[in-house]
Formats: sequence, C-alpha cells, structure tokens
Amino acid sequence: MKKESPKKKKMKKIIKAIWIFNWFNSCGFAELIPVVGSRWDMERFGMIVTGTPRHADVLFIAGYQTPKSIRKAQRVYEQMPEPKVVIALGSCTMTGGMYWDSYNTIKRLEDYLPVTMYIPGCPPRPEAIFEACAKIFKHVKEMS
Amino acid sequence: MEDLKKENDLLEDILARFDVEGQVQRERRIWVKASEENLTSICKFLKEMGFEHLSAISVTDWLEEEELELTYHLWSYDERVLLTIKTRISRENPVIPSVSPIWDRSAQVHEREMHEMFGVKFEGNNDMAPLFLEDWNGPPPFRKDFDWREYVKKEYYSKDNEREAVYYE
Repeated sequence: MKKESPKKKKMKKIIKAIWIFNWFNSCGFAELIPVVGSRWDMERFGMIVTGTPRHADVLFIAGYQTPKSIRKAQRVYEQMPEPKVVIALGSCTMTGGMYWDSYNTIKRLEDYLPVTMYIPGCPPRPEAIFEACAKIFKHVKEMS
Repeated sequence: MEDLKKENDLLEDILARFDVEGQVQRERRIWVKASEENLTSICKFLKEMGFEHLSAISVTDWLEEEELELTYHLWSYDERVLLTIKTRISRENPVIPSVSPIWDRSAQVHEREMHEMFGVKFEGNNDMAPLFLEDWNGPPPFRKDFDWREYVKKEYYSKDNEREAVYYE
C-alpha cells in the first residue's frame, strides 16, 4: 500500500465538511433553498451554510450581479480564508442570462472573481450542485 | 352617488389662487396640471393645506413631444386625498426648481433618483450624487432614446469572444 504523505493525512482530517457562504442576488436564493431543505438535504454530504465568509471554504454566487453588488462580492471573497473556491450558479453568472442586454448587470463573472466552476441551468438542479461539490472534495484530495 | 364635496372644495381653493388646470377624478383623487413657473408656489400652498406627505416624484419621457413630464404625488393625512401635480419641462434643457426646501428629505432622495435616471436638474437640491449606478458614463438610462443594446455591446461584450460574437450578428 502506498504510504500517504503527512500533508495528505492532515488534509483528510480537515476535509470533513465544506462550509458554504451564499452570495445571492435575485431568484438565485430561492433556487438553492431546496438543497438546504429536508428533501435534498445537503448536510448529509457534509455541506453546511455558514453565516460569515470568514468561516467559509466555498463561495456560492447565484443570480445576476450588478456593478454595485459585485464589489461587495469581491470583499466577501477577500475575507474568506485560503484555500477557497468560487462556484457560480445559473446562467446569469455566465452570460447575464435573461439580463443579457441590461445596461447594469455583469456579463462575465470571471472578469471580477476567480470562478472555479460554473453550474449551468436556470436554475441549476440540486443534483448538479451536489455533483459540483463532489468535484470540490475530489479536487481538494488531489491537491494534498 | 359619491359625495365629492371635499375634493371639489380643495380644487376650488387651488384654482382660485393659481392659474392651473385641475380635475377631480373620483373620491379622494385630484389631478392638477401646473406650469414650471408656479410649481414652487403651488407646492408651498399645498404643504400648508395639509399635503405633508410627498409619496413619489416620477418622470415620463415624451419623446415625440420633446418634453419630460414630472409627476408629484401628494397625500394629505387630514383630508385623506391623493393629489397629483403634473408639470412639463423641455427635454433639451430639463431644469426645474427643487421642492426639497418644502418637503425636505423625502423630496431630496426622489429628485436625486430622477436626476440620475432622466438627467433632470433640480435647482436648489444640494446633493445630486449618483444613487444606484456606479461608474456610470452613459446617458441617463431611463430616457427613451437610450439604446441599451448598443450600450451593452460597447461596454460589456466583445466581438472576438466566441460566446458573445452572436450578439453582433
């Protein structure tokens, strides 16, 4: 059996749950609520929503962002401890979605924040969010 | 039969003092058309009459007539009447005296918004800083001749980006 490095052992101990901070505009919030609720229940997979970005590993961004709100999102991102991951949900974050021709919304989120992963959909299915989080677990394990 | 005595009395009071058009639409609803010149005096008078609540100021852009229409919604708690004043100003040079000396802060923030969205200048209002838009360099966005698709193409999209080239076709 291949011996695990001390760093990997340590990371395995740390990675028990991922703590999520939600930054949602518009309908994005309503669309992620089923994931928190009892039917899909994200806590069974080790995902918890936290109230402060300083405890969060993952930043969920959903809904359109305006030039005004993106600055607050950037400040939230800066407050998060390393290592951190940004997951953008929904078509609004990718192209502006139905606000593609709005003069006041951000069209490409990656210009403003280092997006790790986009989850497509309007809204994305809860299963898609779980798949994305499974990828984060895998990614972190590979990283160590 | 509706009893419109209260409303008609109010309107008569206004018409006796100012050269304006007015109409009682129904119970608790009065419309007044004022000119730019006597707007301030009529507002002062109405405030003293008990219209102490300025619920909103809105602007309508009449593109063909080259005019901007300002609408002031006033509410009187004593009379329980909603009175609306409409004023038209030129679209080219939209300057109007501010009502913020009369209704103070509730007028101030509405005028600030209308200045941002329609470019109306309110003389006498001392804070016209942007309220909603940040780093805005375009024309006032709520004006009807503002082509937001052209603006978005110029400001946000790039022809060279593969997923955005479709917007230029």
